[in-house]
Amino acid sequence: MKSPSKAARAILWLTVFVAVTAGMVAIRDQLDRIYVTLVYLLVVQLASAQVGRAVGVTLAVLSFLAVNFFFLPSYGTLSVADPLDWLVLVAFLITSVVSAQLLYRARALGAERERLSAAARRADSLELSNRMKDETLAMVSHDLRTPLTTIKGLAHEIADSGDERAEVIEEEADRLNAFVGKLLDLSRVTMGTAALDIQPNEAEDLLGAASQQAQGFGRELALHVEPSDTMLFGRFDFVQSLRVLVNLIDNAAKYSPQGTTIDVGARRVGDELHFWVADRGAGIGDEDRDRIFEPFYRRRDGNVDIAGTGLGLAIAKGIAEAQGGALTFTARDGGGSVFTLAVPAIDLTGGGLSIDERAE
Amino acid sequence: MNPSSDDVVLVIDDEPQIRRVVRNAMNAGGGIARVIEASNGRAGIDAAAAERPSLVVLDLGLPDMEGAEVCRAIRSWSAVPIIVLSARGSVQEKAALLDAGADDYIAKPFSTIELQARVRAQLRRARLAPAASQTHVVEVDGATIDLATPAIRRDGTVVRLTKTEWQLLRTLMQNAGRTMTHRQLFAAVWGNSYGDAQQYLRVHVRSIRRKIERDPVRPRLIVTEPGVGYRFQMEP
Repeated sequence: MKSPSKAARAILWLTVFVAVTAGMVAIRDQLDRIYVTLVYLLVVQLASAQVGRAVGVTLAVLSFLAVNFFFLPSYGTLSVADPLDWLVLVAFLITSVVSAQLLYRARALGAERERLSAAARRADSLELSNRMKDETLAMVSHDLRTPLTTIKGLAHEIADSGDERAEVIEEEADRLNAFVGKLLDLSRVTMGTAALDIQPNEAEDLLGAASQQAQGFGRELALHVEPSDTMLFGRFDFVQSLRVLVNLIDNAAKYSPQGTTIDVGARRVGDELHFWVADRGAGIGDEDRDRIFEPFYRRRDGNVDIAGTGLGLAIAKGIAEAQGGALTFTARDGGGSVFTLAVPAIDLTGGGLSIDERAE
Repeated sequence: MNPSSDDVVLVIDDEPQIRRVVRNAMNAGGGIARVIEASNGRAGIDAAAAERPSLVVLDLGLPDMEGAEVCRAIRSWSAVPIIVLSARGSVQEKAALLDAGADDYIAKPFSTIELQARVRAQLRRARLAPAASQTHVVEVDGATIDLATPAIRRDGTVVRLTKTEWQLLRTLMQNAGRTMTHRQLFAAVWGNSYGDAQQYLRVHVRSIRRKIERDPVRPRLIVTEPGVGYRFQMEP
């Protein structure tokens, strides 16, 4: 009712009501009462549909009074001679109020549908542009990786024939490939086009895969599953979560002294499943804590010889959040860092597993 | 066991430079008698039929056909090992190609050493496959598994499996060395009912690992292929 155009429309319908009343009063003698009530009903319904419920009900009451005052004997009073006319009036009032309500609701539904379909159109075009971006990225990666394959292959042949410099070419091609891969990942995560495959997954399965991929890092991993006698299930993307975990283990290996153990574990905490990686490195200074998850940020206390792009943690955080989880840092008791990937936990439903679970 | 000197490898790739890299890798890898080349999917399928190669290296992104189509076409009459090369390297693509009948999948840029190792592994597996389906008793990493009885001993102790676990283990072992996709495992163990089977598969894999692996958190027999499936390793 507050918007000027709505107020203007309400005034318009009141004017229509007055005009219709005046017109019908002028020809009152030739007019059957049925027609009068039908005309008012029409006005009430149109006003409800166009302006809203409040105006509709107001006009219904006004129509009731007008019929009573102008068109029922005795004219010019609100008294009713024939008791049956009361019935007509009450029925009229109920009809007009109910129809005003129904029209208003239909209008609201129509507006909602309009709003939803507009939202759907926006989502469609957003999805289209996301898909185009993703296809462009896929093309870039294809156009880059095919020549890199040739470069690596030929470098290998040259190295085989005795030129050691060719090994450097192969290594650098790998570095370039890894870097481009990370840039593509970062843009997918930041553009929100990273396609996630979120499913019920089991914690030990992820820890096992992570320890397998971390074999080349040259560190002892201690794996912890808590509690160890129940299955820990979460809802997450296995491949992406594995990348996050392996990245955290890689960082731990880089930033902690040789010969120290890296602890990796899974733990159920409330309705979350936590995967954590803890090292005995120098930890992270207060001035760096807020910034370590920013793209291209390298720790100030970090060793300059440590190879890295400064993208790993930014990508990891993006992946964690995209699957409804979080990635956090905490200082470790007794020195070192703990990084925790949290994902939604799920409880196993017992059904379906009991069909033939008797051991033979 | 090394590739024998009469092994023929078919390379299907539209990029002449990649064909050259693969050809040289095969020749240097020792003992591949002949490398045949095809520059599109159609010619590749024809060559696979005419030359009966011992192994196919198939690059995706061919100008005329989808890689999965080429896989399915060759697979419809031949059990020849197919190794797929792809620049995309997504697990979805990998799973789709394994479902279409490919045996292995290598992301570009690959190292020559890795390609040679994968080719050797596939040739060895193909040669052992007929024998493997005959043998019932397998001894691996301290576990003796007899698929006929069926019975398992881990370090002398008898291990009991449920029916579903046996079915799953049997499927993995009969395809030892090959990654079985989630979909293929569902089809073999539960029929084709998808859906909740996702969760059950993970439950059962964990439960088998707890029974047969030395350290179930660091499995050496049933290895996870992230996002794709599981693989039984005969030589952990």
